[in-house]
Amino acid sequence: MATLHFLVGAAFLALGGAIQLLSLVSLRFAGLLPLNYGMLEPMANLTLMFGFATISLVGGIYYVLPRLTGTKIRPQGLAGFGLLATTGMVLAGLLVLFAGLGNGIQPLGLPSWVDIPLLLAISIPLVVTVATIRRRVEERSFVTIWFALGGVIWLPMLYLAHLLNELPGISSVTTAYSETFFSAGFVTMFVVTVGSGLVYYTVVKELDVPLASRQLALVGFWSLGFAAAWWGAAQLLFGPTPGWVAGVSAALGLAFPLGALANAANVSLTLEGSWSGMYDRPGSLSGVVGLYLTVGVAIVAALAGFRSIGAVAAQTPFWEAIEYAALGGIAVLFVASVGYSALPRLVGRRLESIPKARRFIRLILTGAVGVLVTMGAAGIVSGYAWLGGSNSATYIDAGEGWGAGVAGTHDALMLLAVIFGFVLFLGQLGFVNVMFGTLSRGKAIPQEVLVPKDPGDE
Amino acid sequence: MSDLAAAAAALGIPEALVKRSAEARAAETGASVDDILAGWAGGEGAPAPAAAAPPTEAEESTGEEVETPPAEAVGPSATPEIVIEVPERVDEPVPTTTPTGPYRPPVLVGVRDNPMMVLLGVFGLFVVMALVGLAGPSLPTDIPGARSSSVPYSEAAEAGRELYQSLGCAACHTQMVRPVIADVGLGAVTLNDTNQVLGTRRFGPDLSDVGSRLTPSQIEALIAGLGDHPLVSSDRDLISDLVTYLSESRTSPPQDAESS
Repeated sequence: MATLHFLVGAAFLALGGAIQLLSLVSLRFAGLLPLNYGMLEPMANLTLMFGFATISLVGGIYYVLPRLTGTKIRPQGLAGFGLLATTGMVLAGLLVLFAGLGNGIQPLGLPSWVDIPLLLAISIPLVVTVATIRRRVEERSFVTIWFALGGVIWLPMLYLAHLLNELPGISSVTTAYSETFFSAGFVTMFVVTVGSGLVYYTVVKELDVPLASRQLALVGFWSLGFAAAWWGAAQLLFGPTPGWVAGVSAALGLAFPLGALANAANVSLTLEGSWSGMYDRPGSLSGVVGLYLTVGVAIVAALAGFRSIGAVAAQTPFWEAIEYAALGGIAVLFVASVGYSALPRLVGRRLESIPKARRFIRLILTGAVGVLVTMGAAGIVSGYAWLGGSNSATYIDAGEGWGAGVAGTHDALMLLAVIFGFVLFLGQLGFVNVMFGTLSRGKAIPQEVLVPKDPGDE
Repeated sequence: MSDLAAAAAALGIPEALVKRSAEARAAETGASVDDILAGWAGGEGAPAPAAAAPPTEAEESTGEEVETPPAEAVGPSATPEIVIEVPERVDEPVPTTTPTGPYRPPVLVGVRDNPMMVLLGVFGLFVVMALVGLAGPSLPTDIPGARSSSVPYSEAAEAGRELYQSLGCAACHTQMVRPVIADVGLGAVTLNDTNQVLGTRRFGPDLSDVGSRLTPSQIEALIAGLGDHPLVSSDRDLISDLVTYLSESRTSPPQDAESS
């Protein structure tokens, strides 16, 4: 079951990564592509958020659960149906968006007749996870169980909150907040939460070292759950909202870097004395890189929650850069972490090429950091240009007050972002290649098989 | 020295772990704890697997967070429901020492707790976050002069508004003028709820008051792909509805358009 999830997720990553790159190109070169940014972006979001991240991370959960609970995934049929349903609804959603039938509510823009079945599909992992844990044999919980359980509960709840938009009488302010609440929450409460939990498992398992601190892991877990709403709210600073939101979001948004830092520090302490062991274990390497990239992204996101920075960064590509790095970089590194570690055990084949896997981790990191820095800088530049532009004659003509020189800087930065986006896409394709290559070309090794002790249990 | 202490010394692991392992072994085999401890103290070795059933990681989780390795390299201990079959290791004796030192318990260990309590915790946390972080900011503002900017749209403009949303225009354009210097000149500040599409990104110009700044023909030219804006649609009816919506999107008095 986990194998299928990993492979379907990898296929969606290839598709989603391509669409995400196209959306970046359309942002820099408006009018170059037949589809504009407004249509490409939700398609990329849908593919990466649900086609890739959700399916792959749920695959990771299905991989670790039997190993940590001592019981098999139950019910197997429902888990398989969940994969099928999620895949089907993502494909249906892509067709709907391509046909221009979306409702335009970011980040997905899906109409309710796609939204509701998708909500049901992504609720299935919650049912399966809870049912499996309820029948656990092992009474002691490794921290990964907490992260997995939290992630599968928060995911459908976030989506449900997002669906409030479709109720009649919902104000545009609520709609805007639910958009940011959902997109920020998806990153922190699902991708980073589940991903960090899986990294804990991978590192401890692969390197045979005990977890440094269970308490620190729990600090990371609860901080991530606490951070999401405020990272999202900060994107609408100075919008039509109560004045207290700015201060509260700035203060509480710090929970995001706090949680990310707790997890990164915990894994670093765990690795003390074993860092060299990561060289031949791309799963652990990818996970650690992902945790540190999360720290960087979280710090940038939290800083923008303060009024002084928010006044410049709000509504600019700055926020797009954070989401791009989170979905295209962090999520991929976390999935690669568990995927590189799990797939060989699941299919009985050695990872196709460890040097290749390491190389693609470097590409993903370079691309994600590059996009974050260049597109983030483009956001800051345009934000400052707006501040000065309102006093210039170019304001109305250029729309945003980009003076000629500033627009040139902005465009150059966005061009760099496209280049780094391409590097990121190469890294993503490399990950997909290693996953499928392991299946088809990996050297055979003993396969890990989980066998029920009592055949009657079947 | 008691049997427990002697066994702990012989196995090189803490007494608490030895005691728990002995109790588990006693429950499984029917022997007394003392007999098992005495055996271990005499050098019989650590808990061996009940059958030719190598461990799962769940089985391996037999203790608190005790420092040390190796999980698979060390071997099994507790009662499994599922097991991992690794053919070449099936009949290996359970070691009491590793090449680098004494036997140490596996690493994927946790503490005895009830994960279902996490379920309640995360559910409660989400409800609080949704109320404070989502519903809270949606409450009416306390800014003096705040008002709802409900723009009176015609039927064609309403159709254009739906089109504006489905085409994803809000991915690049806000309709939210903020009380900051950057937005001076864009029109009336959006202080409260509005029937425009707020949006959260402004890669292109803000369009909340575009009807006051541009004429319908100027808007149509942009939508039709003239200038820097990409072609939105080649369907004349769709363009017409969209132009109507944007032309009617004005929160400033109409004379502003004439003056600009």
